[in-house]
Formats: sequence, C-alpha cells, structure tokens
Amino acid sequence: MNTVSNKKKKILITGASSAIARLVAGALSPKYELVGVDPRPSPSNSHFPGEFIVADYHGRKLDEVFQKYQFDSVMHLGRIRESQNYSSQYRFQMNVIGTQKLLELCKQNAVKNLIVLSTYHVYGAHRLNALQLTEESPLRASQSFPELVDAVELDHAATTFMWRNREVRTTVLRPANVIGKHIRNTICSLLRSGVCPKIFGFDPLMQFIDEKDLARALILALEQPISGVFNVAGEGLIAYAHAIDHANAVTIPLPPFITAGFVRLIAELSKMNLPPYLMEFFKYPTVINDDLFREKFGYQPKVKTVQSLKNLGTPVERKKLTTDINSDESV
Amino acid sequence: METDFEKLKSIVSKFEHLELMEIPGLDDRLNRLNVQLNSAGFDRWGLHPETLRKLAPIMYLLYKKYFRVEATGLENVPDGRVLYIGNHGGQIPLDAMMAGLALLLESEPPRIARAMVERWVPTVPFVSSLFTRIGAMIGDPNNCRDLLMHDQSVMVFPEGVRGSGKLFKDRYQLQRFGTGFMRLALETNTPIIPVAIIGTEETYPSIFNFEKLAKLIGSPYFPVTPFFPLLGPLGLIPLPSKVTIRFGKPIYFEGLENESEDKIREKVQVVKDTLQKEINIGLELRGEKIFTGAGK
Repeated sequence: MNTVSNKKKKILITGASSAIARLVAGALSPKYELVGVDPRPSPSNSHFPGEFIVADYHGRKLDEVFQKYQFDSVMHLGRIRESQNYSSQYRFQMNVIGTQKLLELCKQNAVKNLIVLSTYHVYGAHRLNALQLTEESPLRASQSFPELVDAVELDHAATTFMWRNREVRTTVLRPANVIGKHIRNTICSLLRSGVCPKIFGFDPLMQFIDEKDLARALILALEQPISGVFNVAGEGLIAYAHAIDHANAVTIPLPPFITAGFVRLIAELSKMNLPPYLMEFFKYPTVINDDLFREKFGYQPKVKTVQSLKNLGTPVERKKLTTDINSDESV
Repeated sequence: METDFEKLKSIVSKFEHLELMEIPGLDDRLNRLNVQLNSAGFDRWGLHPETLRKLAPIMYLLYKKYFRVEATGLENVPDGRVLYIGNHGGQIPLDAMMAGLALLLESEPPRIARAMVERWVPTVPFVSSLFTRIGAMIGDPNNCRDLLMHDQSVMVFPEGVRGSGKLFKDRYQLQRFGTGFMRLALETNTPIIPVAIIGTEETYPSIFNFEKLAKLIGSPYFPVTPFFPLLGPLGLIPLPSKVTIRFGKPIYFEGLENESEDKIREKVQVVKDTLQKEINIGLELRGEKIFTGAGK
C-alpha cells in the first residue's frame, strides 16, 4: 500500500472545516493524498480524510506546509463569508491578503492546478442585471455593498493570477446559492429557521445549487485541464417565495424602503445572520448563466432544486457528514 | 402567493356580474408552448406557466369583453424565432399584454412572446415579479440575444418610453426607434413581424407629462389625463377602446450586426415605415368609432 500512496498526487484544500470541503475531500480521498487547512478547528462530527492543519492563510505556517508537501493541486475553498462571527477586518485579512499569499505560494512551489471557489455574489443584485449573467458581466457588488468588497477582491486576485501565470492552470468557479443539509451559510440558515424575511412586493428569481452538485463541479474543475472563470448553477430558476414554500418556511414581509441600519437592528434582535446586502438580493434577480461550464466540463446538475430545498432539515438536526456525492437521492 | 390570485379572482368575479370565463383549451395551449420547465415549474428566463394559467381568466376578461380584441394576420407568423416589433403607447403596457394574449390564445400553434420591458420596471413592487412570471424581462440586449439563440420569440417596442409616455396628440405617430433590435435580428438571423396595435393608445389619453414628479418617484414619465390624477384611483381605469391587432408579413434582413449605425438605421426605417403603414390601414378601417369601430 505504501508504494501506491507514494504515487498519489497531493492536494491542499483550504477551508477544510467547511461542509463543501468535506464532501470534496471524501470523494477525492481514494485517489489523492489530501491536506486540509483551516483557521477553524476540525468539526467534531466528521473526520477529514488526510492531515488537518489549523492555520491562517496569511501566516508563516502555510509556507512550511507548502515546503513539506509538494502539492500537485490546490483547492482554495476557504473564502470566509460575511457573518457576525467575523469582523470585516478579519475577513479582509483572510480573503484578500490570505488569498494573495496562497496564490504566491502556488507560483513559488510550481503547483500545477489551482481551483478557486468564488461566489455569484460578486455580480451584485442590481435592477439593471441581465437575466442571464455570463462570466463577462460587470461585477457590481462592491459598488453598492462594502460587505462584499473582500469577495470581489478575492475573485479579482484569482482571475488576475490566472492571466498572469499561465503555468499554473487556474479555474475560478462562481456558484449560485449553495444549499444542502450540511451547509450552514446565511441562505440555508434562513430557509431552515422556518422564517424568512422577504421584501414586500418583490419576489426575485433565485438559483440554488445543491452541495453535492457543487462538490461534483469542483472535482470536474480539478480533473479536467481547462482554465478559466466559470459560473456554476443548479437545475434552474425559482422565485424566492416558492423556495421558501418548498423549504416549509413562512415569510416575514419587510417594507421595500428598508435601510441597512434597520436590517442590522433586526439581525441583532432576532439573532439572525442577516447581512444588509442580502436585502438587495431579495429585491432584484441575480441569475447566472452556466452554459459555458456545462459545455466545457460536461457538467450536469443531478439534484432537483425542489428536492434539495425540501431536504434542508431543521436547525436542531445535526447531521453526520457521511454523504456520498454520487448518490442522487438525499436522505 | 397563490391566495393572492384567488382573492383577486373572486374580487373581479364579484365586480363583474358575469362569471370569469372558462378559456377553451387553455391547459392544452399552455402545454403546447415551446418552453422547458424545471422541477419548480420555471423556465430558463423565469416564465411560470402556472401563474399565467391563474391570471389568464382575468386577462381574458380584459381581452374579450373590455377591449374586444380582434387580431388579424396571425397566419403570417412563421415557425421558429421571431422578433415582434410593435407600436407603443397608452402609459401602461396593455398593448404588449393584448398582443401576447392573441399569440397565446388565437394563433396556431400557441406562442409565447417575451416582452422586453423598461429598465425601471424591476423597481416597481408586484409588477416586477408578475411581469417576470408571465415572460417579460428588462430590454437588455443580452436577454434578447439569449432568447433568440434558444429559438424563443421576443416582443420589442423600439419606441421605448418615448412611445409609452407619448401624449394623446401624438397617438399612432411612431417616435424615434432604437436600433438595437435590428443588430440582434441580423446577428441571430431572425425575421421581423410588424405588429400594429390600434386602440391601446387611447386608453389613457395623456395631455401632459408631469416630468418633475416623475423624476421624484423615479419613473420615466407621469401622465396627467382628464381623469388622472383628478379622479384618484378611478382615473386609473383605462378607457374601453376597441382594440385591433394587425400582425404583418415577416420581413427578412441580410447583413452584419456590426454594420455602421447609418446602414442599420436604413433597415430600421424599413421596419418603421412598414409598421406605420399597417397602423394607418388599421386606423382607416376603424374610422371615427374609437370605442365601437370594426377592425377587419
């Protein structure tokens, strides 16, 4: 067995404590030697299939990790999203400075493949958005939402790196709203909580991608030698109110002219994670077009949007992460 | 959201002592539309036929009883993608709704025309989501291109807000046309059908555009009619003019989408002239009888 494992290619996965990283790692572990890095400790309910290192992305420790293992590929899944747990300063450190550091290390250590997980939030929600945003559409997010500046900067750093360093094959994925029973991002928490704020009179189109589909997309991106920036979405569109319905939640209507300060107050009082920029996403559609990714990588989402909304579960259910991403039925 | 429609339906049926009409073969027509739906019942551009089915009886009442629409020339519409180019007027897009209903309910096979709407529509509560559900979207060239590339048909009013906000004295005089639709027609090799809509330009006879107030509320125009805002909400009821819709013969253009603006303008002028001719024929047939005139 030793001889076999020596031949295995080594992959670094950042954000290794996240559910997506666990799903990807679970699927990759038979074929690759994995190393996970995350500033947060490893969650108790699942085991990372490989060495797990607690480290910040901008610190010295990452240099040593890169020197110790000669990584063939790096999957940067460790973007820290806006939440009450982290200050914007910390997010900037990790997402912007940390990403720059990671990219520099990839270049120095002759990493062959780099996959960066960005987000569709970089396009921003705007009334002038086309109904099918392609990868060339303008990134309007930082224009209106200072909370999303670090996300846009991360995306920008990765795409610039892609053009400047062609020897590192780089693929950037911008997924739609990621949902799944293991995911604990803002939209999942809201849908799972049973009460969703909705702006009165507005019911924008949304897209959701199931955690399993995203994991499959990331593996496709890793294993096929195509570089570029790609949107990746799930099965199709659904109106927000319908999504709330399918997730068995009820809506709390908010007035259309709600201010950011008021949203923060509600978030504070209700202990909900409710970033003000989300209100714009509840007002205007931000629909991404993933035709290019489907065409180049042969990607086809397998989980139906309605199905994955129904399977979000309740906040008390703590599920052990044992899902095989290739099984289509969700338990 | 479903209960909203039910409520609206019951209100309307109480108002009118006539029961909401059953539309013969509506389900069959909706099933035969060239659309692909996902598990949530939406298509790629947010069309939700279920919403259309629920709203159809109310829209049909307007179509059949209120505006007594007569559509001619539906047999001119070829198979495959089409760009419908219509005249715009009457403050709210009743013209698009009536032409869309004619294509859905009277043409064979049933067709869905996606209307390109003004860029301020997404900011209007209720209207924004309702329009999206029944197939409309903002008039962004990328939207139009994407639809045509997928063999969907698009309805464009190249006059834009210059048309919908036009004053009563300017009715049926085509305003300056945008040229974007022609470039898209050339790029995607799509035939153009001129659609002359007679009657909707008299529904809200605007005598004055209150621009300052429009700017304040963020809309492109604010019409003042003899009844609005003087009579309040009552003034919002459109005048029951008789509507006739003339679908013209398809016009095919050849050329490159990146031709000079002058050359594109020449082609646009051909469409504009043809449409104006159709409008004039329609107006002549109607004569003086705005509310009762025949359209054939």
